[in-house]
Amino acid sequence: MHSIEDLGEIELDALRELGNIGVGMAATSLSQMLGKVIEMSVPVVKVVKVQELHNVIDVDKIVAGVVTGLDDVDDGQAGFLYINFPEQSSLKLAEALLGDTSDEEMVDSTLMEIGNILSSAFCDATAEMLNKILIPTPPSFAKDIAIAVVDAIVSQLAEKSDYVVIFETKLEENENEIEIFVMLFPNEKFVEYIFQLLGMVE
Amino acid sequence: MQNEVLVGIGEFRVAKRAVLKTVGLGSCIGIALYDPVVKVGGLAHVMLPQSNGTKRSAKYADQAVEMMIEAMERLGGKRDRVVAKMAGGAQIFKHMTMDMLRIGDRNVEAITSVLDDFGIRLVSKDLGGDQGRTVYFFTNDGRMLVRYSRGGELWI
Repeated sequence: MHSIEDLGEIELDALRELGNIGVGMAATSLSQMLGKVIEMSVPVVKVVKVQELHNVIDVDKIVAGVVTGLDDVDDGQAGFLYINFPEQSSLKLAEALLGDTSDEEMVDSTLMEIGNILSSAFCDATAEMLNKILIPTPPSFAKDIAIAVVDAIVSQLAEKSDYVVIFETKLEENENEIEIFVMLFPNEKFVEYIFQLLGMVE
Repeated sequence: MQNEVLVGIGEFRVAKRAVLKTVGLGSCIGIALYDPVVKVGGLAHVMLPQSNGTKRSAKYADQAVEMMIEAMERLGGKRDRVVAKMAGGAQIFKHMTMDMLRIGDRNVEAITSVLDDFGIRLVSKDLGGDQGRTVYFFTNDGRMLVRYSRGGELWI
């Protein structure tokens, strides 16, 4: 049984590639949908123990979070994606996409849609790189301090995995640079996928 | 200022003369245990009510309570004097498509019965709602401060 615990530089590079393919696809869909150029990239990938998440993300800050489950068509649950928009990013994104941030419901639903696009793109990337078909569940939405949103997900996987893969994602629209955190909570099945991916890289 | 000790998700800390703090309780629950005589206290950030018995970990309420009591005994605490406070168990997802994220209520119920099993009296609590909580537990006097993510606070 593999453990995600001690991934090295090269392995993290491979994961970053997965992230970049995913957000690249998402950027294409977003650009088409909005008729403007949107670029996205994943400059940094980190693997973090759940207990140490508070060292990596701003746990005290309010974030908008979109959670989707990842279902493997062949054999059930593979984990969760949690897409986390820091407050600043939510506003900038809504401004860039809607031009108006006064309607809170509208902003929330925009973020949910972006989360939706990102998670589908992530599943597409996994399919492309790993030949594993994952279906995202419809998104669930919450706005609260980052850790409070995480803990409902973490408890689902508590017996299966203690690690989170964080894709620090950068979205660029015009002069705006917007930070989004895409967090993958893999269960043991997804960890196996990751190692298959790494096996292909070596 | 007393020294502040951070308790991560699925962890616990036991101390004297300290402020134990856990950030961002969503559906999770912060359980504080206290022996008022020797003023030793513990705080756990638990995710699940019951362990399946294999691994010992503070993410499960039953094991967290047991481990905290043991640690408190090492600092002079006595099991039969220990009382509990708890906070958390919120339902923070607004638009919910996965029923499995609805775990706050289940946690509250199960953890209350865990405390019963240990014969620990629950002296105060602040549970449920729809927002996250950050909790501070003052081991010099056993007070607990609950701070809500959308503002406001409550002493329990």
